[in-house]
Amino acid sequence: MKFKVKTIWRVKRFDRLDQEANKRRCDVAILIMFLCVVTFCARLWHLQIVQGEHFREQSERNRIRSVRLQPPRGKILDRTGRLLAGVKPCFNVCLVREDVGDMEALLAKLSPLLGETEAEIRTRLGSEHKGPKYVPIVIKRGAEWETLSRIESRLFNLPGVFIEVTPARKYPYGSIAPHLLGYLGEISREDIVKERYKGARSGDLIGKCGIEERYENDLAGIKGQRRLEVDAGGRLVRVIDEKPPVPGKDLYLSIDLDLQQASEEAMKGYVGALVALDPQTGRILALVSSPAFDPDAFATGINNEEWKALNDPVSRPLQNKALQGRYAPASTFKIVMAAAALQEGIVTKNTSFKCTSQFRLGRSVFRCWDWRGHGQTNLYKALVESCDIYFYQVGLKLGIKKIEKYAKAFGLGTKTGIDLPNESRGFIATPDWKLGRYNEPWQEGETLITAIGQGFTLATPLQMACLIAAVANGGTLYSPVYLEKMTGPDGHIVASFESDPKDKLPISETNLRIIKRALLGAVEDKKATGKQCKLPDVHVAGKTGTAQVIGQAKRRQEKNLVWKHRDHAWFVAYAPAERPELAVAVLCEHAGHGGSVAAPIARKVFETWFQIQSPLPVLRPHKTAFNVNNTDDHV
Amino acid sequence: MFDRRFLEHFDWWLFLAVLLLMAIGFVNLNSGSAATGYCFQWKQLQWYIAGTVLMLGLVVFFDYRLLTVYSVHIYLIMVFMLILVVFIGKTVGGSQRWLSLGFMNIQPSELAKIATVIVLSSYFYHDDRPQYSLTDLWRPFLLMLVPIFLIYHQPDLGTALFLVLIFASLVYMARLEWTSFLLLLGSVIAAFPVVWEFLKPYQRNRIINFFSPEKDPLGAGYHISQSKIAIGSGQILGKGYMKGSQAHLNFLPEVHTDFAFAIWAEEWGWVGAVILLGIFFLMLYRGFLIASQSRERFGAFLAFGVTAMLFWQVVINIGMVMGLMPVVGIPLPLVSYGGSSVFTTLIGVGLLLNVRSRRFMFQKGTRTR
Repeated sequence: MKFKVKTIWRVKRFDRLDQEANKRRCDVAILIMFLCVVTFCARLWHLQIVQGEHFREQSERNRIRSVRLQPPRGKILDRTGRLLAGVKPCFNVCLVREDVGDMEALLAKLSPLLGETEAEIRTRLGSEHKGPKYVPIVIKRGAEWETLSRIESRLFNLPGVFIEVTPARKYPYGSIAPHLLGYLGEISREDIVKERYKGARSGDLIGKCGIEERYENDLAGIKGQRRLEVDAGGRLVRVIDEKPPVPGKDLYLSIDLDLQQASEEAMKGYVGALVALDPQTGRILALVSSPAFDPDAFATGINNEEWKALNDPVSRPLQNKALQGRYAPASTFKIVMAAAALQEGIVTKNTSFKCTSQFRLGRSVFRCWDWRGHGQTNLYKALVESCDIYFYQVGLKLGIKKIEKYAKAFGLGTKTGIDLPNESRGFIATPDWKLGRYNEPWQEGETLITAIGQGFTLATPLQMACLIAAVANGGTLYSPVYLEKMTGPDGHIVASFESDPKDKLPISETNLRIIKRALLGAVEDKKATGKQCKLPDVHVAGKTGTAQVIGQAKRRQEKNLVWKHRDHAWFVAYAPAERPELAVAVLCEHAGHGGSVAAPIARKVFETWFQIQSPLPVLRPHKTAFNVNNTDDHV
Repeated sequence: MFDRRFLEHFDWWLFLAVLLLMAIGFVNLNSGSAATGYCFQWKQLQWYIAGTVLMLGLVVFFDYRLLTVYSVHIYLIMVFMLILVVFIGKTVGGSQRWLSLGFMNIQPSELAKIATVIVLSSYFYHDDRPQYSLTDLWRPFLLMLVPIFLIYHQPDLGTALFLVLIFASLVYMARLEWTSFLLLLGSVIAAFPVVWEFLKPYQRNRIINFFSPEKDPLGAGYHISQSKIAIGSGQILGKGYMKGSQAHLNFLPEVHTDFAFAIWAEEWGWVGAVILLGIFFLMLYRGFLIASQSRERFGAFLAFGVTAMLFWQVVINIGMVMGLMPVVGIPLPLVSYGGSSVFTTLIGVGLLLNVRSRRFMFQKGTRTR
């Protein structure tokens, strides 16, 4: 209060002269304000009463109504120019509430024509009740021909109803790579206010995920406008002017339609993902997430049951598992381990460990997948037969820090940088992370299971595809791209897309060659784990993986494993081994062994690819490049 | 603590005018919302209620004289918020004006109006002279230059110029020497061609359009033509509530914000429009009266500044809607939709009531210590 007394209570009062001067200035202000108000009243008088009749007339035959002209959405094509997603006319039955008059009578008439109950139509009207006036509401999107003709012939009797034609997506080859392409759906209330969708109205279709969402602005084109002069009854007097719509740009994908279709076919029945890349350029040739969904359904509306099926917690059809699914990489991780061990000088290609199918660390016993054991095992044999004991030894010698470093260098634990939203970065566990998360120190046993790709480590199928592509092309890690080029409506190229080399594997050429030789063996050898991917005419190199979902002990208790406790099957491969053209990563959730489930799927993909490349068997590459039995051979 | 004289001096007329304006604002926004298809009126109602509570709280629990001490803080907060807009402001429609608070977006340039009034009143209170020459004014001028530049930068030329108007109004209250006034007037006229060069094309268009809107009825003059048609077609008694065809057929732009007066005049006619003007007149008249009857310098300046702020908003907005002024985005106090504007206005009115209610403290016979 002291401070108040000092400063405020001493506010200076006006003396008499000041008070008068102050009053004078305020009086002048009041006068000015009064004059303004009088001016305004006079102006209003002039506008509303003197010219009122004139303006009333103008407003009554007012006049300009603008009609939006929808541009055709840009096409999506495969790398050879085959149409994956085009445009077709979609007929919508629309209704302008203000023109209806007797809504009840109209609904009674419409219900049998549309084949829907009145309540159903009413809900569609009701949900839009707060929309602006005189804006048509879509009551049936994508109406069929019979419905249309029934309504068309009765239009005179249905006030306020009309049929509108809008461009919609068509998929001439059926639904292709729906997770990559995305789908169109009605714009939501949250989206409509976003700067990005400026000018959109409720009921408009926009890209909802994948490419359709990412390239919405390019695909959508620019809406046109036609301004019409209408009379008070809404009848057209004349067209004032027209701004034609600008069609959307076309996108050429790097996807190959044949390969994509074959991949989708091969993945049918499995829950999982498949990615096929061109290892030399980092372009994606096929991307499958299984099960698929029907993108058409979203545009015409989905009922509750379909929506439930799409969000099934087990198979998760809406999730793009290639980018968002995270799985333990299992034995495919041994590629990283082998590279790290060679590069760090922990092993040479001749170093061997004895595998007795058991490995003792302190009081715990860690086992090899093969209960018979592999005997003396060197690096080549360890990769070919996927010996766990060998990699336990290597992991122990490397230590978790080094493992982490090499896993990062191979692109795990970071986003691949593909130009799509919501990519998962996978996960690499570190001692620091564990301390922070569980407040427990890192155990050596955890280093062991990390060394065989189990434990905390998680990778996406896309990451594994990039990894195997990097091994195939001699060490360049690419940020994968799925676009070749974007062209304007007149066909000229607006933008071309190249994938940029993200990183270089820190592995010497000699060491990489040793690993590539072993990967070749892992498919071609007699005892190879991945021999089901062997092709008669082309050398394939690859690595299987079988990711355990539950602990060994628990596994043994269950006689018939329930689906969700079964192993994930992995297979990563490239071919031809000599000059790799195609790198593939396959993951099947809870499907069993990598060698018996995932490898045959990859084989179908390779078969298709070489079939596309040279349809005549005579011209196909032959396995004459080198002798498979000689492990010293350079690949 | 509570003094009965406090209630005696409470300006019921001003309070009534504000309540009436809010009622009209709500009713009018109800129609405007129906026209645009959103639910602006309920949000606006929340702001009315929150603003009124704030206003009354300001009157009862706050002594406006404290502001002479805290004006520096207010100034710094204002500048800080405006700088914040530059870095993390939300961009809507090409200009960066909003700060997102999560539950609502505030527009610091709107709050800067009331802050400017407080800061300048405090300045002129502390720097007490019978008359000012141009050399005496360089300090408040510099003080104002910072927020004006920041707002101009958003870009929001309308609000930036508006702050200049507030400044000019308070300089008028402080009394400028005649020679200085003429000098200033001369230099403003001389500077006009230079300023014209700096204006952006759309801003020039607005000014050109103001002088000849019929030249391009579908282009930039469209808004004003449609607004005039809306007002004029209202005639004496209006087209009736919710029946304004100009607004409801979407010929009128921005019916909920800048063109709120147009839809009111269209639906309620000349009578309604004049009544609304009358209420504004009542509010402003009471405001100037408070300034004129204040017994001390700070109160007089504060009251005058707040009233001038409201006055200019009313004049510019209604003048624009009726085609008497170029298109500038200045909202109509309490009638246009917008939380920041409602708060600014109600804080201002709260200060007016505050000055008025504490008048007795300076009356003869009261000890001022």
